[in-house]
Amino acid sequence: MVKENTIKILKARRFAKKAVADMLYSTLESIGQAASMFFEILKWIFRGGISVKNTVSQMVEVGWRSFPIITLTSFFTGMVLALQVGSSTSNLFNEPVYVGTITGFSLVIELGPVLTAIVVTGRVGAAITAELGTMKVTEQLDALYTLGTNPVKYLAVPRFLALFFMLPLLTALANIIGIYGGLVLTVNTWDVSTTTYWSDVLDFMEISTFLHGFIKSFFFALIIAVIACHKGFTTKGGAEGVGRATTSCVMLSMIFILVSDYFLTELLVSLGIK
Amino acid sequence: MIKVRDLNKSFGRKRVLRGINIDVNDGETLVIIGSSGTGKSVLLKNIVGLVTPDSGSIMIDGAEITSSSADELQEIRKKLGYVFQEAALFDSLTVEENVAFGLRMLTKLNEEEIAKRVTQCLNMVGLENVELLKPSELSGGMKKRAGLARAIAYQPKYIFYDEPTTGLDPIMSDVISDLIIRLRERLQVTSIVVTHDMKSAYKIADRIIMLYKGEVIFTGTPKETRNTDNPIVKQFIEGSGVGPIEIDRTFGLE
Repeated sequence: MVKENTIKILKARRFAKKAVADMLYSTLESIGQAASMFFEILKWIFRGGISVKNTVSQMVEVGWRSFPIITLTSFFTGMVLALQVGSSTSNLFNEPVYVGTITGFSLVIELGPVLTAIVVTGRVGAAITAELGTMKVTEQLDALYTLGTNPVKYLAVPRFLALFFMLPLLTALANIIGIYGGLVLTVNTWDVSTTTYWSDVLDFMEISTFLHGFIKSFFFALIIAVIACHKGFTTKGGAEGVGRATTSCVMLSMIFILVSDYFLTELLVSLGIK
Repeated sequence: MIKVRDLNKSFGRKRVLRGINIDVNDGETLVIIGSSGTGKSVLLKNIVGLVTPDSGSIMIDGAEITSSSADELQEIRKKLGYVFQEAALFDSLTVEENVAFGLRMLTKLNEEEIAKRVTQCLNMVGLENVELLKPSELSGGMKKRAGLARAIAYQPKYIFYDEPTTGLDPIMSDVISDLIIRLRERLQVTSIVVTHDMKSAYKIADRIIMLYKGEVIFTGTPKETRNTDNPIVKQFIEGSGVGPIEIDRTFGLE
C-alpha cells in the first residue's frame, strides 16, 4: 500500500514537472516567434515596396473606425475624473480646486494612452487576430505563399504601420476630448469658469508631458500589432482555434500594456520626460 | 521535371513521410491516392515549399527547393500553381481580384492585360458573370473552379491539385475531372493530383501512385492499378472495409 502510494506520488510529481516544463517551453517558444515576427516586419519595412493601398485601408480601419468609440469613452473618462477630483478637493478644501490640472495630467500622461490602447486592443487587435487566424485555418496564408506573396509583408506590415501611426493620433484625440469632457462637467457641476479650467489645465503642462504619453502610445501600438499578428499567424484548430487565439491576443495585449506601462513610466521619469 | 528523393517529414513524434522517391515527367498527370492521414497533402506542400522537409531532396527543373533562398523560391513559384482543397480564395477580395492576384504579384502585365487574362481563365473553367462576387457568394463547385482559374492565370508549368473533387456531387466531380484533362491538353501543364476519388483518378491519370503509412507502396498506370494484386491497393480502390489497411473500428468508444 505504502509502495503504491509512493509510486503514485512520484508519477504525479513527474507529471507536474513535465507540465511546468512544457508550459515554460511553449511560453518561451511563443515569445521567440513573436520577436522573430517583429524583426521580420522591420525587415520588410526597411526593404520597402509595401502596399500603400493596404496600409491606408488599415489606417482607416484602425483610426477612423475607432474614432466614435474613442470619443465616447474618453469624453466620459474626462467627466468622471473631473467629478472625482472636484468632489475630493471640495471635501478637503471646501471648494473644487485644480480640477483642470489633475484631470489634464491624468489624461495626458496615463489614462489617455492606456485607455486608448485597451479600447484599440479590444476593437482592432481582436479583429486582426480573428481575420488572420481565419485566413490561416482556411489555408489562405498558404495560398498567398503559392502566389509569390509573403503574408508578413502583405498582411502584417500594413496593420503594424496603421497601428503605429494611428494609435498616437487616437491618443491625442482622446486627450483633447477627455479634457473637454472634464470642462463640460466642471463648468456645469462645480461652477468653475471655462477660463479657470483651461488655465488650470495648461499652466503646469509642458511639452515633455505630452511627449510622455505619446512615447507610451507608440510602444503600446507595437505591442498590440505584434501580439495580434503573431496570434493570428499561429492559429490552429478551426473556428475554436480562432476564438482561442483572439481571446489570447486580447488578454496578452492588455497584460503587456499594463505591465510595460509601469516600466515605461519609470524609464521616462528617470530620463526627465514627465 | 520534378524529382523527389528520400523525403522524410515528421510532426512531433509522428512520421508522416518516410523516404519518398518520386519522378514526375513533363506533361504527365500523376495521381497520388491513399487513405486520409497518409501524408498526401503534406507531400504536395513539401514539393511547393509550404512545408520544410526534415531531410531529402526536391528538385524542380534542376533547382533544389529545400536549400533555395526566399528570392530563388519566388522565381520557382512562378512555375507552380496550387489548387487548394477548400479553394482558399481570399474572402476580402472579389473573384476577379482573386484570379488577378497571382498576375499582379508574379508577372509584369499591365491592368488591361490582367483584365483580359482574368476573363479568359474564368471562361476556361466555365465561370461567367461572377467577377464581382465575393467567394462567400459562390457554391462549392464554383469556388473550386475559381480556385483553379486563379492557379492557371499566370500560366504555371506545374499545377498541384489537393483533392479537387472532394465535397462535390458526382456530376460536378466529373466536370472538374474534365476540366483538369482539358487544361492539360490546352496548356500542356504537368499535374500532380491528390485524391480519394478513384473514378476521377482513372479518368485523369497517366500514372497512379499509392501512399500508405508515409511510403510509396505502388506505382502504375490506371490499367495496372485496376488489375493489381497488391492487397492494400486492391482494398483501397474497391473501397472495402475488410483487408490489410488498418482501420480503427472502435470509433473511440472503447
